[in-house]
Amino acid sequence: MSKLSFRFSLAAAAASMLTVAAAAPLAAQERGLPDRIVGSSRTVLQHLVDSARTAGLPTAPLYDKAAEGVLKGADDDRIVVVVRSLTRELGEARDALGPMGTSAEQLPLLTSAASALHAGLPVADLRRLAHRGGSQPDASTLATALVTLVDLVAKRVPVNVATSSIQNLIDRRATVRQFSDLRAGVDEDIAAGHAPEASVVARVRAQLGGSPP
Amino acid sequence: MRERDEDHLTGALARATDGLRHEPELRAEWREEVLRQARAEREEQPIRSPRGTTSRRLSISIPWAIAAGLACALVGGGVARLASRPQAPAVVADTRNPASSPATDGAPTMLPVKFSIVAPNAARVSIVGDFNHWNPTTLPMKRSADGRLWEVEVRLPLGRYSYAFMIDGHLAADPDAPSSAGDDFGTPNSVLMVRGS
Repeated sequence: MSKLSFRFSLAAAAASMLTVAAAAPLAAQERGLPDRIVGSSRTVLQHLVDSARTAGLPTAPLYDKAAEGVLKGADDDRIVVVVRSLTRELGEARDALGPMGTSAEQLPLLTSAASALHAGLPVADLRRLAHRGGSQPDASTLATALVTLVDLVAKRVPVNVATSSIQNLIDRRATVRQFSDLRAGVDEDIAAGHAPEASVVARVRAQLGGSPP
Repeated sequence: MRERDEDHLTGALARATDGLRHEPELRAEWREEVLRQARAEREEQPIRSPRGTTSRRLSISIPWAIAAGLACALVGGGVARLASRPQAPAVVADTRNPASSPATDGAPTMLPVKFSIVAPNAARVSIVGDFNHWNPTTLPMKRSADGRLWEVEVRLPLGRYSYAFMIDGHLAADPDAPSSAGDDFGTPNSVLMVRGS
C-alpha cells in the first residue's frame, strides 16, 4: 500500500465515523427519563422501565409517555400512573397478539394494540381480532385496523360497534387503504352532522357490499 | 402510475440515503490492511527522525489524515444533510392518511414524512411527538409562502408515532390524522403510521 493510500485510509475511516455520528436519525436519539422528574417518582418510573425491559417489553414507549407528560405539564404522580398503565397494556397486548407481538419489527403493532386496550378494547376481543383463522391479517394491516378502531372510539363510536365493524372488515380481508377510507369517510359524515355510530355502520355495510355509501 | 413511479423513486432514495448512515462493511478489513501495511513498511524501511526514534512517516501522516478526515466529514455531512432535505415529491407518508406511505422492499428504511397544519394567525409552530421525545424546540415548522400553512419534513423509521402540534405554546392534535387513545394528560394526540410494504 502506498503512503498516499495509507493516509487516505485513515482519513476515510475518520470521515466515516464522523459522518455516521452526524447523520443519526431523529428517532434513534437516546431516550431517558426527563430531568424534571426527580425523587421517588423517578425511582418508581425507573423501576417500571427496568421491569418492562426484564419482561422483554419495549421501553421506548414508556420513556416517550413520560416525556409527553412533562411537556403537557402533568404532575409526577400522574405520569407514574399513566406509565404504569401503559406498561400493563403493553404486556397484555403482547400476550394477546402472541408471536405477532414479540419481535422488534412488530413494535408498531404492539403499541397500536396497547393503545386499543387503553381505548377500551377488551383483551379477549384483541385476541380474536389478531387470530382470525383463515382471514388473519398481516401485522401491518392489523396495526392500521387497530389505529382506525381507536380513532373511531375517540370520535364517540361505542367500543363494541367499532370492534364489530373492524372485525367484519378484517374478516373480509380489508386492505390498509379501506381502513383509512373508513376513517376519512366517518370524518366527513361527522363534519356533515351525522352521528358517528350510524356513519360507521353505514360505511362498513357499504364496504362489505362492495358499493360506495 | 406517476404516483407509483414517484413512490418507487422516493423509496429507492430513502434506501440509498439510509445506506449512507451505516459504516462501511469493509472497515474491519481496511483496518487490518492498514495495520498489515504499516507493519510491513516499518520492517522494510525503518525511517528515523534526525533525533533518532520516531517514525517520521507516521508522524507526518496523522495530521494529514486528520485534516483530510475533517474535510471528508464536512463533505459527508453536507451530503447527508442534502439527502435529508425535502425531495420532490416530498410526501411519502401523508399525515392525513396513516396508510398512504409507499411500499418499500424491506431492510431498515427511513422515510421523509411531511407534517403540515393550517394556522394563518400563528406566530410560531413546532411539532412534538415520540420521534423527538416531545421536545418543542427541535422541529420548528416553517410558514408557507401564502402564510396560511406551516410545514416541516422529518425523516422517520417505520413505526407508529404519537404527535401533536404546538401552536404559540398551545398543543393541538392534527385534524387530518387519526386520534390516539384517551387524553392521558389532558390534550389529545394524533397518530402516524409510517408503513413499509
